[in-house]
Amino acid sequence: MTKLFSTKGVGLSAISLLVGALFIFPFYWMASTALKPNADVLSNDYDLLPARITVANFGDAIDRPFFLSSLTNGLIVSLTAVGAAVLAALLSAIPLSRLKFRGRKGFLLLVMISQLAPLEALFIPLFLIMNDLDLLNTLFSMILVYFGAVLPFSVWTLRGFVSGIPVELEEAAMVDGCTRWGAFRRVTLPLLGPGLVATSVFGFITAWNEFLYALVFTSADANLQTLPVWLNGFTGNQATEWGTAMAASVIFTVPVLIFFLIVQRNLVAGVTAGAVKG
Amino acid sequence: MPYLLLAPAVLGIVFLLGYPAVLVFITSFQKLDLAELFSGETVWVGFDNYVEIFSEADFWTITLRTVVFTAVVVGGTVLAALGISLLLKHVPGKIRMILQICLLLAWATPILASTTVYLWIFDQNFGILNKTLVRIGFDSFAGFNWFQSGLSTLAVIGLLIAWQAVPFVALTLYAGLLGVPTDLYEAAGIDGASPWQAFWAVTWPGVRPILALATFLSAIWDFKVFTQVYAIRKGGPNGDSTTLSILQYLKGQSGSHYGLGAAVSVIMILILAVACTQYLRMLIKSSDVELR
Repeated sequence: MTKLFSTKGVGLSAISLLVGALFIFPFYWMASTALKPNADVLSNDYDLLPARITVANFGDAIDRPFFLSSLTNGLIVSLTAVGAAVLAALLSAIPLSRLKFRGRKGFLLLVMISQLAPLEALFIPLFLIMNDLDLLNTLFSMILVYFGAVLPFSVWTLRGFVSGIPVELEEAAMVDGCTRWGAFRRVTLPLLGPGLVATSVFGFITAWNEFLYALVFTSADANLQTLPVWLNGFTGNQATEWGTAMAASVIFTVPVLIFFLIVQRNLVAGVTAGAVKG
Repeated sequence: MPYLLLAPAVLGIVFLLGYPAVLVFITSFQKLDLAELFSGETVWVGFDNYVEIFSEADFWTITLRTVVFTAVVVGGTVLAALGISLLLKHVPGKIRMILQICLLLAWATPILASTTVYLWIFDQNFGILNKTLVRIGFDSFAGFNWFQSGLSTLAVIGLLIAWQAVPFVALTLYAGLLGVPTDLYEAAGIDGASPWQAFWAVTWPGVRPILALATFLSAIWDFKVFTQVYAIRKGGPNGDSTTLSILQYLKGQSGSHYGLGAAVSVIMILILAVACTQYLRMLIKSSDVELR
C-alpha cells in the first residue's frame, strides 16, 4: 500500500484509471444512451450524464419486428450447438487423457489444426453443402456450423481439464469397488464441473457473436435471423434510431455478462489452458 | 472403445471443417454461378478463376490493404496490451481490479453490439466524438463524416477490433508476468539493474513466448476478420475499406460467383497457412511434454 503514496505509484494509478475509462466508455455510452429519451439522444446538448432517464427504448426495441424471434433463435442455436459440442468433446476428452491407443497423437494433431480452421474462408463450401442438403434457411444449418466451429476448442480445453484431475482419485474409487464408469461418474465428473462450465461459456459466446454464417444462411427468411443480423439490418437504415439500437445492444449483451460473471475467476486460465499452454 | 467415444468429435471435424476445406479448393477450379447451382452441373475451368482474380487491379490493392491493416492492428493491439499488462502488475490491488473490470466489460460486449456503439459514437451529426472534439476547440469536426474515406473508415474499424482484442491479450500477458519468479527481480536489484535493465533482462524473456503466441493468434484473427469490416460500411465507401474477407463475400455471396469467391477464399487460406505453420511449430514445441 505504500506504493499508492509514492509519486510514481500515483502516476501509474492515474494512467490506469484513464486507460480503464477509455475501455469502459463504449459500454457506458451504450447503456446511458439506451436510458435516454429519444429527444435527448438526437440533440446538440453535450450530456455525458443522462439528464432524464427512461426505459421506453427497451420497450421499443422489443416491439420491433423480428427482434424477439432473433433473440430466441440465437438462444436456441447457440445453446443446442454448444450443448452438443461439449458433449462430443467430453466423450473424446476421456480416452484422450486416460487411455493409450493408436491414433491418439494423430487425433490431437487433427484437433490442433482444425482449431485454426479459418471459418470465415469456408462459408462458400458450407453454403454449397447446406444447399445440397436442402438445409439453407433453417436453424439447423446454423446449429451444424456452430457445432463444428466450437468443437475443436472444446475438445482441446476439456482434455486439459480432465488431465488436470489425478487419475489416482479414480483408481482409489475403483479399489473401493466402483466400476470404471462409476468411478468416472462419481469422482471425475463432479470435479469437471468448472471446466465444463468454462468451456460451454466460451463456446456460447462464439456462437452468440457469429455473424457471417447467420447472414448467409438466413438471407431469404427474416424469421430465422439471429441478433447480430437483426442489429446490422437495423443500423443499416439511414436514419437510425440510436436509442432503440442501444437498448437492443444492451439486451444482446446481457446473456454474455451473466456468463462472464459465472466464470470470472477461470476466465484467463480457461483460455490459456486451451490455447497457449496446450 | 476409445474409437467409439471419439467418433462424434471426429465426424464433426471431418464433415464440418475437413470436407469444406477440401471442397473450397475443388470449387475454386469450377465455374459455379446461379445457373450451375440450380442445374447441378459441374463445369471445370482450370485456373480461370485465379486468372480473373489476379488480373483485377483491385485485387492487389485489397490484398496489400488487408496485410497492412492486419499488421497495424496487431502491432497496436500487442503494444497496448503489453503496456496494460505492466500497469496491471505495478498498480495497487484496488486500481488493478477497476482496470480489470473495465477490460472485461469491453471484452464481453458482443461484436455486433460494440460495432453498433462505435457507429453511434462516430455518428456524423450527434456522435459524442465529434461533439467532444468541437467542445475542446477543434471546430472543423462539427458534422465531420468519419466514413467518408476508406482510410478513416479502416481506422475506426481497426480501433474497434483492437479495443475488443486488447483485454484478452493484456490479461493473458498479465498472467504470464505473474509467472516470472520474483527472486529474479530481487537478484537483478542486488546486481544494481535499473528498472529498464530489469525489464529487458528478466521480464522480457519471461513473457516473450506468450507474447509471440498472442501476436500470431491476433494476426490470424485480424487477417480474416469479416464481421466488423462488413457491419461498419460493407467495405465502402466505394470499396475503399474492402479487405480479402469482404471480397470473397462480394464475389461469392452477393455476386453469386461461387467459384470466383472460392478462389479468393483459397488465396486467403494459403496466406493463413504460411502464418499457421509457424504458429503450429511453436505450439507443438511448447506442448511437447504434454503430448506424450
